[in-house]
Amino acid sequence: MKVLTPEESMYTCVRCGACRGVCPTLNITGREADGPRGRVLLARSVLEGEIPVNQEIKEQLDRCLLCSACVDACPMDVQVPDIVMVAKEQIAAATEMNSFHERSVKIDTSQNDIKRTAKPVRNVKDFFFDKVLGDQKNLNKVGNLLWMYQKSGLQKVTRAVGIMKFFPEQMQQMERIMPEILPPSKRKHHPEFTPRANDTKETRGRVAFFQGCIMDVMFRETNDNSIKLLSKAGFDVVTPQTQVCCGALHHHSGKTDKAIELAKANIAAFENANVDYIITNAGGCGAALVEYEEFFRDNPSWLARAKKFSEKIRDISEIVVEKGELPELAGRGERVTYQPSCHLQYVMKVKDAPAKLVKKVPNAEYVDLPEKKYCCGSAGIYNMLQPELANEILDKKMEKVKETDSAVLITANPGCFLQMKLGVHREGMDSVIETKHVVDYLVESIERAEAKTPS
Amino acid sequence: MTETMARPPLDKKIISKLEEIFGEERVLTRNTDMITYSYDASFETQLNPRKPEVAVIALSTEEVSQCVKLANEHNVPIYPRGAATGQTGGAVSTKGGIVIDLSKMNRILDIDHRNMQVIIEPGVVQNDLNEALKPYGLRFPPDPGSANMCTVGGMVSNNSSGLRAVKYGVTRHYVLGMEVVLPTGDIIVTGGAKSKALKSVSGYDLAHLMIGSEGTLGIVTRLRLKLLPLPVTRGIILCSFKQLEDAGAAVNAVFSSGLQPSAIEIMDFNCTKAVNMMKPELNLPVDNEAILVFEVDGAKEEVTSQVARLKKVVETYASYIKFSDEPEECEKLWQARKLVGAAVGLLKPGGFRVYGGEDICVPISRLPETLREIHNIADRYGIVCGIYGHVGDGNLHTGPVVNSNNEVEMENVQKMIDDIHDLAIKMEGTTTAEHGVGIVRAKYMDVEHGPAMDIMRAIKRTLDPNNILNPGKMALPN
Repeated sequence: MKVLTPEESMYTCVRCGACRGVCPTLNITGREADGPRGRVLLARSVLEGEIPVNQEIKEQLDRCLLCSACVDACPMDVQVPDIVMVAKEQIAAATEMNSFHERSVKIDTSQNDIKRTAKPVRNVKDFFFDKVLGDQKNLNKVGNLLWMYQKSGLQKVTRAVGIMKFFPEQMQQMERIMPEILPPSKRKHHPEFTPRANDTKETRGRVAFFQGCIMDVMFRETNDNSIKLLSKAGFDVVTPQTQVCCGALHHHSGKTDKAIELAKANIAAFENANVDYIITNAGGCGAALVEYEEFFRDNPSWLARAKKFSEKIRDISEIVVEKGELPELAGRGERVTYQPSCHLQYVMKVKDAPAKLVKKVPNAEYVDLPEKKYCCGSAGIYNMLQPELANEILDKKMEKVKETDSAVLITANPGCFLQMKLGVHREGMDSVIETKHVVDYLVESIERAEAKTPS
Repeated sequence: MTETMARPPLDKKIISKLEEIFGEERVLTRNTDMITYSYDASFETQLNPRKPEVAVIALSTEEVSQCVKLANEHNVPIYPRGAATGQTGGAVSTKGGIVIDLSKMNRILDIDHRNMQVIIEPGVVQNDLNEALKPYGLRFPPDPGSANMCTVGGMVSNNSSGLRAVKYGVTRHYVLGMEVVLPTGDIIVTGGAKSKALKSVSGYDLAHLMIGSEGTLGIVTRLRLKLLPLPVTRGIILCSFKQLEDAGAAVNAVFSSGLQPSAIEIMDFNCTKAVNMMKPELNLPVDNEAILVFEVDGAKEEVTSQVARLKKVVETYASYIKFSDEPEECEKLWQARKLVGAAVGLLKPGGFRVYGGEDICVPISRLPETLREIHNIADRYGIVCGIYGHVGDGNLHTGPVVNSNNEVEMENVQKMIDDIHDLAIKMEGTTTAEHGVGIVRAKYMDVEHGPAMDIMRAIKRTLDPNNILNPGKMALPN
């Protein structure tokens, strides 16, 4: 667990500036207010009631990607994203209620627009977070709708009719790069238990697979491949059916109650699985899961359970590098680069495991992506909420990707995957650069090797 | 917020003119922006932030020149700012006006490796520069602790240095020439306008007048820097001493044995404790008054022999020695020193480390008594502090740790800072060795310089008759 609460943590910032070099938004605009140091001070000013809550401060704090690169760079581990979140929660509450909390958050009535825009946005968010993400059945229904949309010819029709033109540019582009949804028949529950592929060898461990919510609908194949990869690397894999969404998006949007509810459900689901490790294939989810303890600071019985749960969380690349044994791999002469997931590298502190695995593929060349320290701009749904800044971040990222002259761009998180795919699409390079989750890349390499040497 | 507006508020027309120069997007006037430009890394600006009236983000010499010209014509103060990692308030406003942010002028323009020099813009971050130079086997040696985030322009303006100054000197030793926007807006190049020479004694050395002038005489917009080859390898010797005096004697013995370490760092008992708290696995010896960490560098065989010789010299004085010339082990030993700046913050739960009285420099011979005296001062005010520093040149960094909500402590730590500065002068030292004067040490300028201050003020008046460039700093005319 983190030693300090966000409020305590913000007072340990000495403004040394160690965070300046890793902040993606500061890198774009150069404005101090777009850097971590500025954000901590602005959040603090809001929480202390030094400045009133108004549209200006809201807009400013909304520009933070919450990528955590600054926390990783900070010698004092100042929890910038948590601090920004606390301030955002207070702003949200103050806008809806006028008066708020024991603290003296002041509403600035000279800027009325903050109140007018708050409600409808919040209603849509409520529906999305509570009714869709929080409920796997509903999420599956959305998945079915998407599949129908893609398969029924409706996608072709809408594209031909040009109806997407009426949506914001960001949505139009997202619609185009959406992964193909598998039909409902192929999205049944994962098997509760998948044994290691080679049972003549000793097991590398009993692990549970965390499937995620969006991940399991939109990236079902990557999830299938994850279980396959774990099994092929020597693990016995349990996939508990009672697991739910990790709650990261709820938490990041200030819906802490729902996030806690989901956390409890997951802790209970995985306790029953009786495993050594719990494996995620999405840096964003993994980062949320390792921080479950934070929800239960004042709840000793749950805190102990959360602690046990969090200690078992491993990223799939990390566990395969540390405990697994990969079968033979084969490349096809491609050059490969890797854009890390921020939550994976900065919160889970898994810095180079995906790259290490990619480097193991023979007949493929791994090149480091310059400035891979910077977030790609996906950051949950940031690219929807801050399209302009997100696009600038993305354009800069794509410049660097092009410099590597790679044919495969590896990611380790669904948000990053979509963002990178969007970037490739915007550059008109869909036929030149393939965006892939590291798991899919490895399974393909394994299967390529298997095809060459039939057993 | 400290509102030090001794002047009428900025005319709206000036904002529009700035927008003409920079474009609307790079002219910032919103309250949220002003708050974030009200501080640097100094304790002083944490206590008393100082908002400017407008901040501009410059991208070219031409923009800087036009902006300064405008400010000079209308008598508006203008404050150059890099990454604002300074600890003196040097990069913040003292009476409203314009902060000019130079951190986006960060292009490396020409790595002229055959001539062992590089031309850059001032906003380049020290570490980024060295990363770019690595493929050429070259480096820009000055190494302040903030190398990860400080701009080279800021380093030049403060004549910064770091722990390897004992062998490689300070920023001043690596500046060959620069382009400067003068307080009138005129642009000059010093160190020979077209020269690429590595040495020159032609004329007054104006570049060196600018170095360390903290943005009071001109705004640096381009730099020509001398480079050195990268050292091939290094060795580390970490040793601990029962008595401070033993550590002092060991340093003397090393120097007189003909060895030239690239760094000699000292950490007192509190620093040792703090590092052990942060990284228990380092398991530093605690039963002592000080730890010294020596670094030697050079070719592999040279380093091996230096490590052996150095070990032999310090053995007489030290109670514990660990050493290595293997990169991985060196990295481990060096961690103790690397972490100390942040670790001292742990000396008090929930406390934060105050940067104040943090940069004094005393004669090496007086280090032990200075260290003891600093702890006496701290005890007197009931404040916990760790002391570390570059013992090879007598530069001590004191890190008091306080809780910001404890008013008595906050008051006492400020008294303690004053006492440390007074002590430095009493010990025939200086109040600042590498961080600068800015706002926080201006009051010691007359004591340290005597009548020489008149000359400094005369130079300032000559170059900046309207006193628009970074006024209120270094005890220059106000």
